[in-house]
Amino acid sequence: MASFHTVLLSRRHWMWGAAGMCSGGLARASEPQVVASFSILADMARELAPTGVRVASLVGPDADAHVYKPTPNDARRLSQARMVLVNGLGFEGWMDRLIRVSGHAGAPVVASRGMEPRRSGAHQSGLGSHSHGHKHSHSEVDPHAWHHPGHARRYVDNISQALTERWPQHSQEIGARQSDYVLRMNALEGQLRARLSQVPRDQRRVLVSHDAFGYLGEAFGIDFLAPQGWTTASEPSAAAVGRLIRQVREQRVRALFVENISDPRLVERIAQESGARVGGVLYSDALSHPGGRADTYLRLLEHNLVTLTDTLRATR
Amino acid sequence: MTAWFEPFAEFAFMRRALVGTLALSLGAAPMGCLLVLRRMSLVGDAMAHAVLPGAAVGFVLAGFWLPAMSLGGFVAALMVAVAAGLVTRITPQREDASFAAIYLIALALGVLLVSLRASQMDLMHLLFGSVLAVDDAALLQMAAVSGLTLLVLAAIYRPLVLESCDPAFLRQVSGSGALVHLAFLMLLVANLVSAFHALGTLMAVGLMMLPAAAARFWVADLPRMAMLAACLGSSSGAIGLLLSFHAELPSGPCIVLICGLCYIVSVTLGPRGGILARRWHRQTRPIR
Amino acid sequence: MRFAASARRPVLRLHELTVSWHGHPVVHRLSGVFRTAGLTAIVGPNGAGKSSLLAALAGGRVQVTGRIERRLPQRLAYLPQADEMDLQFPIRLGEFVAMGLWSRIGWWGGLGRQERDLLHEALVTTGLGGMQSRLVGELSVGQRQRARFARLMLQNADLILLDEPFNAVDARTTCDLLDLLPHWRAQGRTVIAVLHELEHALRCFDEALMLARELIAWGPVGQVLTAANLERAGKRVQSWNEFGPGSEAKDAPPAAGPERKFPS
Repeated sequence: MASFHTVLLSRRHWMWGAAGMCSGGLARASEPQVVASFSILADMARELAPTGVRVASLVGPDADAHVYKPTPNDARRLSQARMVLVNGLGFEGWMDRLIRVSGHAGAPVVASRGMEPRRSGAHQSGLGSHSHGHKHSHSEVDPHAWHHPGHARRYVDNISQALTERWPQHSQEIGARQSDYVLRMNALEGQLRARLSQVPRDQRRVLVSHDAFGYLGEAFGIDFLAPQGWTTASEPSAAAVGRLIRQVREQRVRALFVENISDPRLVERIAQESGARVGGVLYSDALSHPGGRADTYLRLLEHNLVTLTDTLRATR
Repeated sequence: MTAWFEPFAEFAFMRRALVGTLALSLGAAPMGCLLVLRRMSLVGDAMAHAVLPGAAVGFVLAGFWLPAMSLGGFVAALMVAVAAGLVTRITPQREDASFAAIYLIALALGVLLVSLRASQMDLMHLLFGSVLAVDDAALLQMAAVSGLTLLVLAAIYRPLVLESCDPAFLRQVSGSGALVHLAFLMLLVANLVSAFHALGTLMAVGLMMLPAAAARFWVADLPRMAMLAACLGSSSGAIGLLLSFHAELPSGPCIVLICGLCYIVSVTLGPRGGILARRWHRQTRPIR
Repeated sequence: MRFAASARRPVLRLHELTVSWHGHPVVHRLSGVFRTAGLTAIVGPNGAGKSSLLAALAGGRVQVTGRIERRLPQRLAYLPQADEMDLQFPIRLGEFVAMGLWSRIGWWGGLGRQERDLLHEALVTTGLGGMQSRLVGELSVGQRQRARFARLMLQNADLILLDEPFNAVDARTTCDLLDLLPHWRAQGRTVIAVLHELEHALRCFDEALMLARELIAWGPVGQVLTAANLERAGKRVQSWNEFGPGSEAKDAPPAAGPERKFPS
């Protein structure tokens, strides 16, 4: 038994040594020090956090944060974390209670702090609101701000600031990581915009089965329509579906996209009836599993825009 | 007035939903009547949960490939039905208890299997369709299952009725009791799972049980009860869809609630055992 | 018309038959012969094993040791006590009785002219003429029993086993149904009936089998239904219940009570 413990301990020491710079503040390497509410935030935090700081996510890849049910293990991880990172804007309705229950000291870091959120039903390019007469069962504020590169940069700023506050001895490293990340983000954004510019503005009309891309549309000048509200729990009325089909026909929406967590059959049905094309999967609320097409935030952004562009171009 | 029916003219998805509901009503009505008469009314709901372990196994083996999960779900439901049927035949336990016991085991197993994959994905959500999303394949499937149901029921009608009301006599004249029972259960599973897949669990079970339970208050014998139930189901479907369209309400619950309204009206006004009918009888025939 | 006892062929022969129910023997080492064209009543006190014996003769779900020889080919009809019927299941009287013709119509056969005539005749004979469209669940107990008898008639069986057929049935129905038995005997059928009321046995039946877990007496009804036999039967069942098989409680108190009743 003793030899087992020795082996374990020596492995730990080896890990710490290999990590290079470390200080006494990095005890308990097995527990994450930064716990983010969902995978996209966790990915950003991982990019920005100094080496040796472990980041974990409560809602994992390909999972739905709207209907997530926290486990006792989550509460434990929160209580032992030094930094809790949430999106805010009403995205994680279950988070406040969980933080209270876990006894985590300090307030959570809200990634979207200081930004002006978009309201649901707000529409671009005068298509008219699709939500006339709609009874909303969800909040009015759209929380999916990470799809907008501008807001994403704010997220990065807020996260970096919070990290620096907690690990001031690594502020230089954090700053370097932040600059690098933002550079990469900007470069990617430039590429994607160039690609998208090949599609005329009036043809950038897209239907998704989950209304989570408002910010993406705002940022890149794409019109998104949706048959359902934000959450995945609501069941559509025939009237809403009919209205949408009419709208798709009238506005000549050309591409339909199926999100990875909503009912794809409904979208297929609408596509068939309205003559639009179904274009594949867009990632809205979560990263894909590691090794998938959208396993980091940047790859998610890239995948979404490349898919959109290709489908829109193909329908011309 | 015709403006009411315009949605069916304008939209293909409404027409499909209507045809889907019709197909379901035709096949599910006689099954529902038999369930009501054999005191198996909660079996439909139980089956909705019994598909979970099969779907979970399908998911574990083949990922998010819908046919694998559907097949797994079907097999699981079938195993639950057959196991419950065997317990009912071999032991003194009745069908309602044996079904309850076995579906609960299946459900717990399913929840366990799903949780092992560490993913919170809602398998059921993917597995169960919705009436507004019925496509050609689902329609064909429903029509085929309904047709098959009617054919098989016609074939086994006599032994099935006998097995339901006087199984001791059936044992005397024919050894086919177990076979007929099994055939009935398999038909039930086929109907339910196919309806879950196309239209979702609420609609499938609702349209199977509510019209049958309502029809009980109007007619006595099985064939007419089934026909009435089919009529009630189809018309509820049409009315529910229209209501869902004109009043901005979700369609599945709408349709089932219209069925529910039929049921309440039947309980109150139905001539065979309805509340008002019973009171009227009591008044006109004083107890000696 | 009564056949001479020797001219009637044996239909069932029992050799040391023991019937057990959940591991407890309820009929102990019964041997004897049932013959064609005969009406045999099985009588005995409560708990004597009569129903179990009948179930065993019908080939039902009881454990049996010893031998039952049945003369084949032979159609058998068994009317158990009406416990397993689900009365709220809607079936019309006509359909219900017509099931007796199963051997002719099977799963899918329709009711042809002949079958419908037979059905009509059976219904009229049992006093249910014209009630074909009534629901079985809405009939009285007596009417239901008539219906079961009608169904039995349509089964056209050579060997008829009846388990307490007149239990809880009104006197009028009992009378009418008892009147059918001599006709069946005249047709050469064998009827074995478990009876509760000894009057019925005395009135209509030729032979009686008095059972009290083991055989007390078997023979012509007048010889079997004596006071002495009745008393022996009562004591035997008592001692069985207290001491198990094969015992005779010589010190058991003499049974009191009026004649023609089993001491309990």
